[in-house]
Amino acid sequence: MSGPSTDTAVVAPAAAASRPARRSRLRPRVDGHPLEPYLYLLPHAVLFLVFVVYPVGFAIYVSLHRWNILSDQQPFVGAEFYTRLLTPGTPQFTFFWKTMGNTALFTVITTPLLIVCALGLALLLHRPIPGRSFFRAVFFLPTILSVSVMGLLWKWMFENRTGLINVLLDMLPFTEPVAFLTTIGLAWVPIIVGTVWWTVGFNMVLYSAALAAIPQAYYEAAAIDGAGAWAKFRYVTWPQLNPVTLFATVTTTIASFQLFGQPHVMTAGGPLRTTQSVMMFITEEAFTRFQFSSAAAMSLMFGALLLVVTGFQFRLTLRDLGRGRA
Amino acid sequence: MKELRTRLIAAIVAGLALGGTALAQVEITYWHGFTGPDLPVMEELVAEFNATHPDIHVTAQAIAWGPLFQQLEPAVAAGQAPDVVALNEDVITGFILRGAVAEMTPDMLAAAGVEGERFFPSLWETGVVDGKVYGVPIHSVMLVMYYNKDLFEEAGLDPDDPPSNREEFLEAATALTVDANGNHPGDPGFDPSSLQRYAVGIPTPWMGGTIAYAVAAQNGVTFVGSADEGYAPTFDSEAAQEAVQFLVDIGSEHHFGPADATEGSEIDAFRQGVAAMNFNGVWMLSQYRDAGLDFGVAAFPQLGTERYATWGGSSHLVLPVQRNPDPAKVEAAMTFIGWMTQPEQNLKWTTAGGLPTQPEVASSPEYAENPMASLSDAMANTYVLTGFPFLAQFRGAWDAAFEAALHGTAVDQALSQGVSEAAAAIQEGLLSLP
Repeated sequence: MSGPSTDTAVVAPAAAASRPARRSRLRPRVDGHPLEPYLYLLPHAVLFLVFVVYPVGFAIYVSLHRWNILSDQQPFVGAEFYTRLLTPGTPQFTFFWKTMGNTALFTVITTPLLIVCALGLALLLHRPIPGRSFFRAVFFLPTILSVSVMGLLWKWMFENRTGLINVLLDMLPFTEPVAFLTTIGLAWVPIIVGTVWWTVGFNMVLYSAALAAIPQAYYEAAAIDGAGAWAKFRYVTWPQLNPVTLFATVTTTIASFQLFGQPHVMTAGGPLRTTQSVMMFITEEAFTRFQFSSAAAMSLMFGALLLVVTGFQFRLTLRDLGRGRA
Repeated sequence: MKELRTRLIAAIVAGLALGGTALAQVEITYWHGFTGPDLPVMEELVAEFNATHPDIHVTAQAIAWGPLFQQLEPAVAAGQAPDVVALNEDVITGFILRGAVAEMTPDMLAAAGVEGERFFPSLWETGVVDGKVYGVPIHSVMLVMYYNKDLFEEAGLDPDDPPSNREEFLEAATALTVDANGNHPGDPGFDPSSLQRYAVGIPTPWMGGTIAYAVAAQNGVTFVGSADEGYAPTFDSEAAQEAVQFLVDIGSEHHFGPADATEGSEIDAFRQGVAAMNFNGVWMLSQYRDAGLDFGVAAFPQLGTERYATWGGSSHLVLPVQRNPDPAKVEAAMTFIGWMTQPEQNLKWTTAGGLPTQPEVASSPEYAENPMASLSDAMANTYVLTGFPFLAQFRGAWDAAFEAALHGTAVDQALSQGVSEAAAAIQEGLLSLP
């Protein structure tokens, strides 16, 4: 109590000496209070309950009632709004699945692009070329833009007739202006090009970090075995990048499914709703037509589908990961 | 030292005095969506109200229209609604029917000095449902025609007499449209794929829908039935088909403009002096002025066959429903609404780009200098054909139908598809009313 405890010079070495012993212990500590681990979990648990569990539970309630925020009565309608989503001919069925298809198309095209382009850029910038940091910054910089700025920028680039790209197409011989924004199919071009330009930097940074972490010895060993550049990439780099690829694929897929701002700004979902995303349609249902129950049912359905897709992707990639390690 | 102490005492006394008046003051809050170049003017008006009404203090909050509409109902449900809100014509009736907006009784209106007869009737009616008044117009906009005077002169047209009906429009548009070889539409060898200068393009989707709305209204179309008819949409009538067909033909038949126009490409083409005419809202004025063009603003021409009409939009001041209404706050809110919509304030508001809400302002000598003054006649005869319930349900389907027609779907088919889409949406809107 008195002498040694006040003397830090004595206490400190003792504490330092005991640390490695504790670290090497395999069994969890038992000397703390049994509730201690839960205390550490509490802050996140509270946030999770308030901002995830409660809203989802409330959305389920809303989707099962004909819910009007200002009315005293919220009549129970059961699965009516879900049934509509599954009954051909209803507007919900028609537009939910149409916009769901649009969103899936966008995801299927952009996710591989965002992985391949990011990896390509990271590989190029992995070599010690002059101005490497500058180029990394250039490719990463667009990610800091807000979606409205990025959307307007690419809308101006691809604007029918008067956009920069069409002005160039008009000036060059053998090319004609293209009505990107109002042609079915082509309206995806500005959205996809803009999205890749906007978000590729994030995955690129992930890959750059992962590339830097691959031990040089692997490449030396591969070189001794007579591996060329392709073989080195195929048997060393790519398997080592697997965890990052899994992470990037899952996060990019989820982000792509939540497509909203780009078509909202560039095409307003046109022409003929062919670039309208499912998030745009849900928002329209909720806040333009004030059909909150219907919108809640769609959100939950969409969330469930997203879970299935992500789960499937996880399984596929985890299997690949296992093979990579074996 | 002494000076500092005197200053401190003076500051404390002043603080106490302010606190004293604050106690007697009624504090009210006001949400509005005037976040553009009109924001400073709105802020000036609020400051002026506060300066001239020592017993009331208004705290104004500018929120973009979209979020404002999203937040209003939850705020009302939570008992946290502001005392005054500005709502636009396309949402006001929905908010009234869903019970988010309180009625203004004739007594309340009279006490606040608001007389309905002072306003343009169509604007006033937008805030009225079943004979009960829910909103007072503060702001008005409309679809107009901008035209390039230089291009008019080049084409041998009178730059001070722009087309005002269908016949004049067709004539002027033929003269204004020139291909790379100098041919006009109808000339032998005219090549519509190489327009050098052109009259006007009809864009998609929202602005195109707005233009189509105006022309259909000119054909006497009623878009949605009355409450007794369950608000059944009726915009697939022959009159509506005629209007839509005429607009589709401007691009695809007459070649008076590109068939793939967007609102953005039309704005650019007008600014660059390629398009001679542009149909857009009054809010484009400053953009075109900045482009350094010699242009005029005229009423949207009567391209329809029955009567004059143009699309109009408006904003109205309303009282949200309060859980525990405080009579003093309601009275203060009405005083604010009454003051804000007086001719004098309305005149000041027109400097921000809005149109007068009342004939008295439109015909005042002070307003004559406003570049929009030439539209006064059109305003008096404007059918602001907005304000019926489920406008969003109707408008989405109408815009989609017009877009489909522009993209080559047969007009009758496009409109009947639009009607069934709108009917289903309106049906659901009816079900979700309290």
